[in-house]
Amino acid sequence: MILTRLVSRTIRRVISQLVLGALTLLGALHSVQAQEGYPLDGTWRGEWGKEATVAVLVMNWDGKAINGRINPGRNTINFTKASLDAAIWQVHVEATSKEGQPIVIDGKLENIGSYNRTITGTWTQNGVANPIVLTRE
Amino acid sequence: MTVSNKLTTLCTAFALATMLAACSEPSTEAAASAEATTATTSAASTSAPAPRYADGAINFDREPGKVGYWGKASQHALIEKGVEVGINENGLLANVADAAKVAPLMDWSLALYQYRQANGLKDDPVKGCISPAGPRHLQDPGGFRMIQDRNFNRVYVMFGGGNRNWRLIHLDGRAPPNPDEVTATYYGYSTGHWDGDSLVVESSGFNDRFWFSNGGLPHTQALHLTERFTRMDHDTLTYQVTVNDPNTYTRPWTAEWALEWVDGEIKEHFCEQ
Repeated sequence: MILTRLVSRTIRRVISQLVLGALTLLGALHSVQAQEGYPLDGTWRGEWGKEATVAVLVMNWDGKAINGRINPGRNTINFTKASLDAAIWQVHVEATSKEGQPIVIDGKLENIGSYNRTITGTWTQNGVANPIVLTRE
Repeated sequence: MTVSNKLTTLCTAFALATMLAACSEPSTEAAASAEATTATTSAASTSAPAPRYADGAINFDREPGKVGYWGKASQHALIEKGVEVGINENGLLANVADAAKVAPLMDWSLALYQYRQANGLKDDPVKGCISPAGPRHLQDPGGFRMIQDRNFNRVYVMFGGGNRNWRLIHLDGRAPPNPDEVTATYYGYSTGHWDGDSLVVESSGFNDRFWFSNGGLPHTQALHLTERFTRMDHDTLTYQVTVNDPNTYTRPWTAEWALEWVDGEIKEHFCEQ
């Protein structure tokens, strides 16, 4: 009985240490991935509209322009225009959906020093504006 | 301190010890050539001449049986040569309005530099034990050594600050890798050549996960550095770096500072958070 209790306690301790170690490792990997260059570079994810439509944006600064696309994959939509007004950290993106509807994303870049910085603003598609928060992944 | 950092520290300590051991026991050729100390490039200096190997090549490190390292940088922050602004040892400007004078920043990089300055550099990745790589390492109070591995035609720059790491400079004439194909790293990929007594190093392949200046000057993965190390005499090393990052700066720009030979060993320091 005592032996069983001792083994059980040891197993619980090992498991808790393993979980703690895994969480620490995840945290470390997260900080290692921090990106300090152009603040819009990277992958961003958010939801918009009543149906919480997921949107993934990938952006890349080449020194002259912000290149980007929405929902990379089979249904990729390339940006037709993108800009960052760094004086007020205002982001503006234009694109056209597969159905030919104009898409305009306007938002403010926030929490710039964080790896998980955000763009808070509106996703306007076919003239209908919806709030959106894009978080950098 | 995270598990990742502990692992890094252990690996670093082991590799560092291995390399130092290898370098402290030079080959017969290196031991014989390391004895000579001849001319100096600074006749007016009161310091002893810069040490040289028997074949005349400059020695950037200590002579056999002696100790010392490079430290006490004459400038504590990365600033374009000729620019005069008030800035402290941590890279904080006395007046944030001077930010545009520090380097030829683009609109976005100026705004980001000002943001970092305005919030007291609180987001500096160094605080999370991310390496102070690039020229920043050569201003770190921890100092550094430049150990020439003449058997393999390369130089190790061993850092006392940050994570007590090292970078490698290849002098064997290899071509730098294609920037589009190289895996970006904290120390980049460095190749060098001799220009008289100066060591000229070209580096690229940097990632953008660190601050290459303590004040938070931004850079991107397009960063290319051209560095020039010159040992003027036994006690003086001049360092010049030209920063070329067309995604961050409107033109290439240059900074330079001097370093002093410090007697003694680099002090033990490990980054903990």
